[in-house]
Amino acid sequence: MSLMTDDVINFTSMLRMSYDFLHSGRKFNIKSNRKGKKLISVVFPFSDLVFAAKAIPIFPIRLEKFKVNTYLEALNSASGLFGWKAVSNFLGFIRKFDFLKVFDGIIDDVINSLNYKYNNMYDLGIEEGVSNDFCYGIKALYGMHSSRHNNLDANLNVIIRCSAFNKYYESLKRFSDNLIWLDIPPRNIGNALEICTGNVKETISQLEKLTGNSITDNDLRKQFRISNECRELYKEIIYEISNSNFYPCNPATFSEILALLSISFQDFNSNAETYLKNFRNLVKEMKERIRKKIGMDVSNRPRILLTPRFGGWEPESHNLIYKMGGRLLYADWEILGALENIEVYAYSDPIEAYAKFLMDITTKGVGCDNNALTDSYIRVARKMDVDGLIFIELFGCHSISNCYTMLRQKVRKELEIPTTALTFNKIGENIEQVKTRLGAFMEMFN
Amino acid sequence: MVDLEFFLEYYEFLKQEKEKGKKIIAYMSHDNIPEELIDAAGFIPLRLIFSGNDELMDKGADYLPTSTCSFALSTIGLFSVKPNKYRFLDLIDYFIVSNHCVSDICSSEIICKYFDIPRIDFYVPYILSENGLKYYRIELIEFKKKLEEIRGSSISNEDIINSIEKYNRFRRNISKIKYYDISGSDKLELYQKALLYGPKILELRNFNVNNAGQININNKKNVILTGCSIFLGDDLIEIIEKGGGNVIFLDTWVGDVYFSQTLEDNWLDQQKKNNPFDILTEMFKRNTYTDHVVPNFIEYKIKKIVSIINNLKEKLGISNIGVINHIIKFCDHMSLPREQLKEKLQAKNYFVLNIERDYSRASHGQLSTRIEAFLEMI
Ligand code: SF4
Ligand code: SF4
Repeated sequence: MSLMTDDVINFTSMLRMSYDFLHSGRKFNIKSNRKGKKLISVVFPFSDLVFAAKAIPIFPIRLEKFKVNTYLEALNSASGLFGWKAVSNFLGFIRKFDFLKVFDGIIDDVINSLNYKYNNMYDLGIEEGVSNDFCYGIKALYGMHSSRHNNLDANLNVIIRCSAFNKYYESLKRFSDNLIWLDIPPRNIGNALEICTGNVKETISQLEKLTGNSITDNDLRKQFRISNECRELYKEIIYEISNSNFYPCNPATFSEILALLSISFQDFNSNAETYLKNFRNLVKEMKERIRKKIGMDVSNRPRILLTPRFGGWEPESHNLIYKMGGRLLYADWEILGALENIEVYAYSDPIEAYAKFLMDITTKGVGCDNNALTDSYIRVARKMDVDGLIFIELFGCHSISNCYTMLRQKVRKELEIPTTALTFNKIGENIEQVKTRLGAFMEMFN
Repeated sequence: MVDLEFFLEYYEFLKQEKEKGKKIIAYMSHDNIPEELIDAAGFIPLRLIFSGNDELMDKGADYLPTSTCSFALSTIGLFSVKPNKYRFLDLIDYFIVSNHCVSDICSSEIICKYFDIPRIDFYVPYILSENGLKYYRIELIEFKKKLEEIRGSSISNEDIINSIEKYNRFRRNISKIKYYDISGSDKLELYQKALLYGPKILELRNFNVNNAGQININNKKNVILTGCSIFLGDDLIEIIEKGGGNVIFLDTWVGDVYFSQTLEDNWLDQQKKNNPFDILTEMFKRNTYTDHVVPNFIEYKIKKIVSIINNLKEKLGISNIGVINHIIKFCDHMSLPREQLKEKLQAKNYFVLNIERDYSRASHGQLSTRIEAFLEMI
């Protein structure tokens, strides 16, 4: 899959983010590397409270050892000596003499080793007793916990409307006594916001007890400012850069970046400040390349939104769409409302602001039912001005990805753009079928 | 299993109530729906507790993926196919969309949207905490408002208290049948009828419990049925009986989980002067055996099964009792914890069988073989 190499090699920020994603987590398996901080598993972009507690949030797959080539490792060591910018320039230079095809290997490994590991975790989840009937995400997550629960100090369980997921949270009791819960009222009625604020307070006190650190309003505000800036940058990529006629890289790479961003956004690669720095650089580098016309003219390529992908999707899709003349975009967190800012004012209550953020996700983004959820899809597709929509019907998902009938009707009525559904069970399974379906779908744009 | 005649009777019953001006409020949700409020409003709660078959599941799959639980798919299918005996579904005035599980939300929403039934939302928190209870109370308030809006007048506290007492009596009476010496299928039929008719069943002439003893439990392989309910029209319990087993206890929502939720008279008397929402909230709090809530479902479930077995041993002098954990395929609530439940019960030396199945005809043969093999072991 060398098609991305030329693109990514000059994206220092992307190299750094990928490196952090794959490697910075593994070191936390060793207690001394945590510097006395507690390691708390998170899923979905709900890591703010953990950061504010001066603990380390981790999306548990990042504790795994990835089969990554030694060059990325070497790059990291070199970056320690010369800085990432210098390393990137150097790479750009020697890329010209790359008879060893070293760099192809680097990028391939980042993508493939992640997918390979996901499938591993999925298999482990089934081995450990999760019924085959559950979604890819739950099986893989269960596998991750089964594999690394010994290294975790606690798990943050934020209640969502998916009953399977809430039961999955409960099943983690098998691995840990330290489950920290955060309940979100399903609807914003009466004084639900006040109740949610109380729930956030309760979670904060559990985190304080676990870490021994108190969480001040200023700790929260500081963290919210960082994550808000990340959210703004994320939206800039989704709405502005993805909408431009010239991409800073080829469209398949662009999709890959969106996919990596969405996975890493869950725990900010365990270091919010570094993540923000990389995010800033990424946006800056993208704009710079567009300005200098380094990248690819994509004006004649239809823009296709694929969703939902966080519970599992076929990563080969964006390469296929690219080869078929389109560009594929991922924007799950925006659709689900997780890229809305948390209000931060000097004199307002940050706990209440966070509760409001969570309640908005539940009631407006994800929605307490599929009517609200399908409205979210329509809202974002319209705002992104996409030309088509691919919906993932994830096997075993009874919540987010089962609203296709309703969504299709709304898309026809309100957006009038082509739409199709792809079924998904496991990465790498049914690629031929995906290819055929995408082929038929892309025909509509010719 | 109930016969066609029952469906006709039930249709007549609902029709007559409707003719009296009562609204029929239907829901799929397995519990935590405050039917006392519906009753106090002068309406009829209609619990959809009907199992399915291949045709109904297929029809349901026009709206939701086939990886949705067979009960939810079949319930949608019922509204799509409307088999003749289910024509009482045409009498439904409102449908409650609730979040017992996410399949409940999605299917109920589809039924309202595609079969044109006005909806009422009632959502239940997932965690039984102080704040969860506060939230439940807000939902009660909203629900009452909605019912008042429908009926065009307010519902008095006195009416709510009366309904609470009425339902409490009803549950207590029906819960007594758990130790009656009748077959599991007869008990199930009574539970199912009681759930459909509500307190009214105690007034019906043809509702009687034959306590003379149709079977001798000691000569049968006795099992407790836990997990998913056996819905009306499902022949699972007959399969167990044909295999030589007797379901001695139904630890399911259509069964003891619902009917054991009773309040002590003394306590209720003391509460009468308080706001009835306090009582309803307390009932929600005490409903710890519901499969809806986290994070202690498994612990509570195991504790309950152990106490049922000890109780039965003590009361009836039965030594070996097996546990059949019934899982409707793709059920979020029962499928994920099935292995943990089995492991933990087996660690206590109980015989446990997990059966996961849908409503297709094709699964029958395999089901009987597995059940028979299990009963052999007891
Ligand atoms: S919403 Fe769907 S994909 Fe997400 S956890 Fe639930 S079942 Fe899995
Ligand atoms: S059987 Fe399970 S998944 Fe189906 S409606 Fe009941 S609780 Fe939900």
